[in-house]
Amino acid sequence: MPSATVNKPRPSELLSRLTSAEPEVKVRALREVKNQIIGNRTKKLSFLKLGAVSAVAGILADSIDDVTENNNCNNTNNILVQSAAALGSFACGFDAGVQAVLDAGAFPNLLRLLANPNEKLDYIPNEDDCSVNPVKVVDAVARALRMIYQSKLAPKYDFLQQKNMEFLISLLNSEKENVSGLGASIITRSCETNLEQKALFDAGILRKLNSLLEGGSLSQRDASLESLATIFRNNPEVISKFAGPEIGRPLSSIIDLAKDRYPRTRLLACMCLIVIRNASPHFLQDIGIKTKLIHILLELLDDPGQVGDEAPFAFSSLIVQKEDLQKLALEANAIDKLHHHIKKGSLHPRRYEGILLALADMCSKLESCRSKFLSLQVCQTKSSLGAIQGFGLQWHFSVVLNLVADALTDYNAGVRAAACICLKSVTRSIKNLSAGYFMNETIVIPLVQLFLDPSTSVQHGLYRWQQKSERPDTFPLLDVVWVAALGATSNIVVDFTTRKSIFVQCGGMKLLVQLAKSMESSVRSNALWALKNFVFQADNRLKEGVFSEFTASLLSSLIRDPEPSVQEQALALVRNLVDGCINLIEFVFAEDGLILGAIGRQLQCASKAEIGIQGMYALCNVASGNEFHKEAVMQLLVTQMGDKNQSFVIKFLQSNDSRLCTATVWTIVNLTCPSSPGALGRLEKLRNAGIVTQIKNMVNDPCVDVKLRVRTVLGQSMAFGDN
Amino acid sequence: MSLFWFVIRQLAEIEEQMATSKKVITREEWEKRLNDVKIRKEDMNKLVMNFLVTEGYVEAAEKFQMESGTEPDIDLATITDRMAVKKAVQSGNVEDAIEKVNDLNPEILDTNPQLFFHLQQQRLIELIRNGKIEEALEFAQEELAPRGEENQSFLEELERTVSLLAFEDVSNCPVGELLDISQRLKTASEVNAAILTSQSHEKDPKLPSLLKMLIWAQNQLDEKAAYPRINDLSNATLEDPTV
Repeated sequence: MPSATVNKPRPSELLSRLTSAEPEVKVRALREVKNQIIGNRTKKLSFLKLGAVSAVAGILADSIDDVTENNNCNNTNNILVQSAAALGSFACGFDAGVQAVLDAGAFPNLLRLLANPNEKLDYIPNEDDCSVNPVKVVDAVARALRMIYQSKLAPKYDFLQQKNMEFLISLLNSEKENVSGLGASIITRSCETNLEQKALFDAGILRKLNSLLEGGSLSQRDASLESLATIFRNNPEVISKFAGPEIGRPLSSIIDLAKDRYPRTRLLACMCLIVIRNASPHFLQDIGIKTKLIHILLELLDDPGQVGDEAPFAFSSLIVQKEDLQKLALEANAIDKLHHHIKKGSLHPRRYEGILLALADMCSKLESCRSKFLSLQVCQTKSSLGAIQGFGLQWHFSVVLNLVADALTDYNAGVRAAACICLKSVTRSIKNLSAGYFMNETIVIPLVQLFLDPSTSVQHGLYRWQQKSERPDTFPLLDVVWVAALGATSNIVVDFTTRKSIFVQCGGMKLLVQLAKSMESSVRSNALWALKNFVFQADNRLKEGVFSEFTASLLSSLIRDPEPSVQEQALALVRNLVDGCINLIEFVFAEDGLILGAIGRQLQCASKAEIGIQGMYALCNVASGNEFHKEAVMQLLVTQMGDKNQSFVIKFLQSNDSRLCTATVWTIVNLTCPSSPGALGRLEKLRNAGIVTQIKNMVNDPCVDVKLRVRTVLGQSMAFGDN
Repeated sequence: MSLFWFVIRQLAEIEEQMATSKKVITREEWEKRLNDVKIRKEDMNKLVMNFLVTEGYVEAAEKFQMESGTEPDIDLATITDRMAVKKAVQSGNVEDAIEKVNDLNPEILDTNPQLFFHLQQQRLIELIRNGKIEEALEFAQEELAPRGEENQSFLEELERTVSLLAFEDVSNCPVGELLDISQRLKTASEVNAAILTSQSHEKDPKLPSLLKMLIWAQNQLDEKAAYPRINDLSNATLEDPTV
């Protein structure tokens, strides 16, 4: 009797048994390997390191040849079954294993076993003479291939080749669940382009999948739902054909499955419906279905397993960017329900991340959702305590902020990024931002810590960037966290109150300046964005602090950054820095006017309107200064005229973008203000450059802003006797 | 004042009427109505077959198939395999059970970390039960600790299980129920359910849920009517309505 014992052969010993000449020993060793690795990631890894995958793949390859020569099919078939099962398990939910199986060359052999089942495999034996029958081989092989196709490392399947499509159809037509499931997995993993979706539709695959939906087993239905969603994704043409009379009433069968008794089926049916709705908004407009989807997905959050982990992501894709659905979800108590799950604690990281993202999407547009989120309470006793002590609102805030702060410090990078995105959504609430609720230590310290993490230093960012160019598929997770964190920081530092110093005290400002030097352009532009918001209407001392941290040379090099989005944010930062007190304007004159020169050069070759707008406003603010400042700006506008190219001022004034026109005319307003002594001389120069004539042409501009400023310039010009 | 009492008396009368207005349905009426409900024999047979298959009574299912001509909704051979797994767990041969499950379908334990952990935990419990302390420690360290690292709730369960080793009289310690036979049954039924699900079969038979629905419906009806209730579910005898 087999008793519970741990005296198992060591992996290295097992490996040597795999090479045995005795088929029985070999089969036993294969089975033992399989039993040791199933469900056990650690074992998979240690066997993999010992080279077990290539050993097993080698056995499989040898046995394929044997099966044609050898009459003793039992042993060979058993070896095939056990080796295919072991390879399948190596590949199951374990990308390193999938890679090893592919590297060992097992994939074409597995496919060959399925594609060209030789006569021996086709022959259905009677159970007595062959205990391991070919049907089991097909089953194990199909399962192993299915495991590979569940990974993103799976080889691309070319649907556009006729023979491939025929093979796929033969797989889907199979009675065996693993075989038809393999067909569905291939579609789910490999179908990407509209062309491929169309080819699958034309080959009649949808009809086949639909019949699996209606008459298949549980796993066939699930696999079919996933494939259908893949074929529908962003393809309204295929959807309208599917929902049309050609196939029958398939949409209603998917809707029915959204109410199925199995949670996974419900989730997949919801995801399929969401894909349909997002691609063709005119389908599923019925409010009943929308509400139903919201309720089903919120209910699925209760599922303890993978379904519950994925449900918040599906929920997000349903409501993202859609105010009507966000409103329905709010009415369905979505925020309370999502919060309820976070409150329970010790969540799977994937689920934690998904719930935070779902909250972020809920709060991304509607103030009503944000106030609901901000008014959440932890539990009855604590909230009543808050009420008794008379700081109800403050207390509620600390609840939500603590919740986000916890997530900001989570060990999982995905969770941290999601917390930042959530914070970014919530802090869009101007009402609460102006009250200064977010600029407090609970939030700011963990947020700044995210940048301080030794593993995410700027140097490391550089390293990752270099790595990325070698392997473009590497997911730059750290960059994602940074960019998300910078997004949240951008909102928080706007803070209209006087609490901005908190951010400086905990080192946040210095870090942002460091990040502005990152090798990753999105990190640079987001860091500048955050700093731009930070100095917005800040007091002089803070602005001086930021400037001295930056230095004129760094700022001017950022203005001339190769990336347009960075140029734009750098110019916007300068614009906010020099806004206000006259002393601040001196920043652009530091180091021989380095910054001013950079602005001038950038305006000449501005690649998009936004760069012109920010640059002109920066000049506009400088032009609001003293006579010296005004002359410097004047110099910039006129010297550029010497070039053969048209003056950028004229170009901006003729732009279709009224924001750019406004910014430019406003600068002229500041230069020609009659109260300043040099105004007349400057007006003369502007007239000579043809700028005044251009402005006169704009006197009836359709944009009110432009018209108003144009009239101011003309009024000022008339004050000097011009007509 | 008198008006007040008048209203109160009126209300009381209405209430009394409401209480007695519960509809009474006599046994004859009830049986007549029951006879009007037509249930196909085949459907009843399917229900019985579903019960036998799900619960794993393979011989009874075979006999029933022969006698009634009802086709089982699953290959009867798979029941034998499933029962062998279940029995192995129930008798403490967990390793044997794991190997059998893997032969049946390697995906079950590869994609169900909770079940895999519970089987490994059961193995640990059996080692402790058999007094193989060193082996138990080694097993916990090598096989179970990595699972605990992957999942917080597994870690808590593992700690609870390992604490069995701290007690001399395990039968009388706070975590003693882990050694109870009921723990084996719990694990066995979890494996049984997972195998059924992997075969696209429901993990619970339909009959018990129908009985639950019957009880629920009777409770609902109790508030509105007096009727011949079924209290004895095994014999389905109709009680006389209590008025």
